[in-house]
Amino acid sequence: MIVVRDLVKAFNGRPILDGISVTVKKRDVLVIMGGSGCGKSTLLRQIIGLSKPDSGEIWIRGQDITRMDERVFTEMRKKFGMLFQSGALFNSMTVGENVSLPILEHTKLAEEVVNIMVKIKLELVGLTGFEHMMPSEISGGMKKRVGLARAIAMDPELLFCDEPSAGLDPVMTAVIDTLMVDLSRKLGMTLVVVTHDMASAFRIATKMVMLFQGKLVASGTPEYIKSLDNPIVKQFINGEADGPIPLRLSSDDYLKNLLG
Amino acid sequence: MSKLGDYLVLSGRSFYWAILACFRGQFPKVTEIFAQMVEIGVGAIPIVTMVCFFIGLVLAIQSAYQLVQIGAGSFVADIVGVSIVREIGPLLSAIVMAGRSGAAVTAQLGTMKVSEEIEALQVMGIDPIRYLVAPRLLAMMVMLPCITVLCEIVGMFGGFLFGHFSLQIPADLYIERTIHALALKDFYTGMIKTEVFAVLVGTIACYCGFAVQGGADGVGKATTQAVVASIVSIIAADCLLTGVFYYAL
Repeated sequence: MIVVRDLVKAFNGRPILDGISVTVKKRDVLVIMGGSGCGKSTLLRQIIGLSKPDSGEIWIRGQDITRMDERVFTEMRKKFGMLFQSGALFNSMTVGENVSLPILEHTKLAEEVVNIMVKIKLELVGLTGFEHMMPSEISGGMKKRVGLARAIAMDPELLFCDEPSAGLDPVMTAVIDTLMVDLSRKLGMTLVVVTHDMASAFRIATKMVMLFQGKLVASGTPEYIKSLDNPIVKQFINGEADGPIPLRLSSDDYLKNLLG
Repeated sequence: MSKLGDYLVLSGRSFYWAILACFRGQFPKVTEIFAQMVEIGVGAIPIVTMVCFFIGLVLAIQSAYQLVQIGAGSFVADIVGVSIVREIGPLLSAIVMAGRSGAAVTAQLGTMKVSEEIEALQVMGIDPIRYLVAPRLLAMMVMLPCITVLCEIVGMFGGFLFGHFSLQIPADLYIERTIHALALKDFYTGMIKTEVFAVLVGTIACYCGFAVQGGADGVGKATTQAVVASIVSIIAADCLLTGVFYYAL
């Protein structure tokens, strides 16, 4: 479904992604893990084509999207769903209008049908009856769930989620996790999820990759990742303060930095 | 330089979606165009008419100041009519629209960019240019000429008030002189200018909105930039077009 090969992306000369290669099969739930600023979101943005890599290839359903015509890619994106970190709802529209937008734009269904579809999708994320609220009237966690409802409105083949559990309470996180597992097992969706919530990651993943300083340090099934002896992976999945993962992003000498 | 390139690409694609795509049967949403026409055009009517009324009045007073000295007070009607229709009407409406509606469009699109809404559209396979820019550009292209005509009428009315009540020019004479002074050419050159200004204001406002980087700070900067760039390019285009009309028509 998705093949990423030797992806390189740098911002202002600082490499964010440094030779990443990942393969995702159909019905896989790929979880991308890593600390803040390690390039998880950047990797996701490359895969959905929101920014172009400096070098490397990204193949989705047999086509290299880095060399694809914008219009063909727009057509392809109708099969994508994406949940943004902030939800990215349209603030000028109600919750219901947000969810119905992709349906109205891409299909010619009657309004009653669309309304039913919107209700079903909102029901899935536990927000029945919120259609007429404005995004500014609901909480951050609710916005995120509306974002998810909108992402799956068109029953996409590929669903991308950027930090789906951030800002949700543990019960809602479990509900969303179950929903994502169902989407992949029952509807055959392929999911790519960026998260640093380990409990949620191990619940949903069929495959995990871990990024560290722009490089892929581990890749495999959740059981394999758990059994790894790599100190970076161990520190991350156990959430320990001491270990090889540094606090600072820059590798400059601390003393030199302090004293100017 | 690359910014200019980006701007031209955006303008080209906006034109495609606003006009050419209609011939291929892909219309922008009509309801959205009307909503934007109200937002961009109808909302601007109070401020534009007020500004034009005062400018018409000032124009009449200033020209009377000279003309009365040579005993040609009734020429105020000619001067006010011609200068408003040929120049002041189109220019002033465009500048006020750039400051009011253009800035609003930039701020709105910029905020959408900052809150990832534009990326969300892209990911859904909805072209932001088709969905957001085309209706705004079309609304601007339809509404600015309407606003300009209104502005010209109100401006001439301002001039008329001064001419009639202060210079004691009879109403019928004032109106007759105005009609006599105006040629069809005055009107359509003014309208050509207006249409060019509408395209400039619309595309610059949308470009600056899409170019926003960072947060609220970026939106503020982009809005300022949009207004400055629109006004400068309106006046530059005005200069160019006036020259062309003067020599070629």
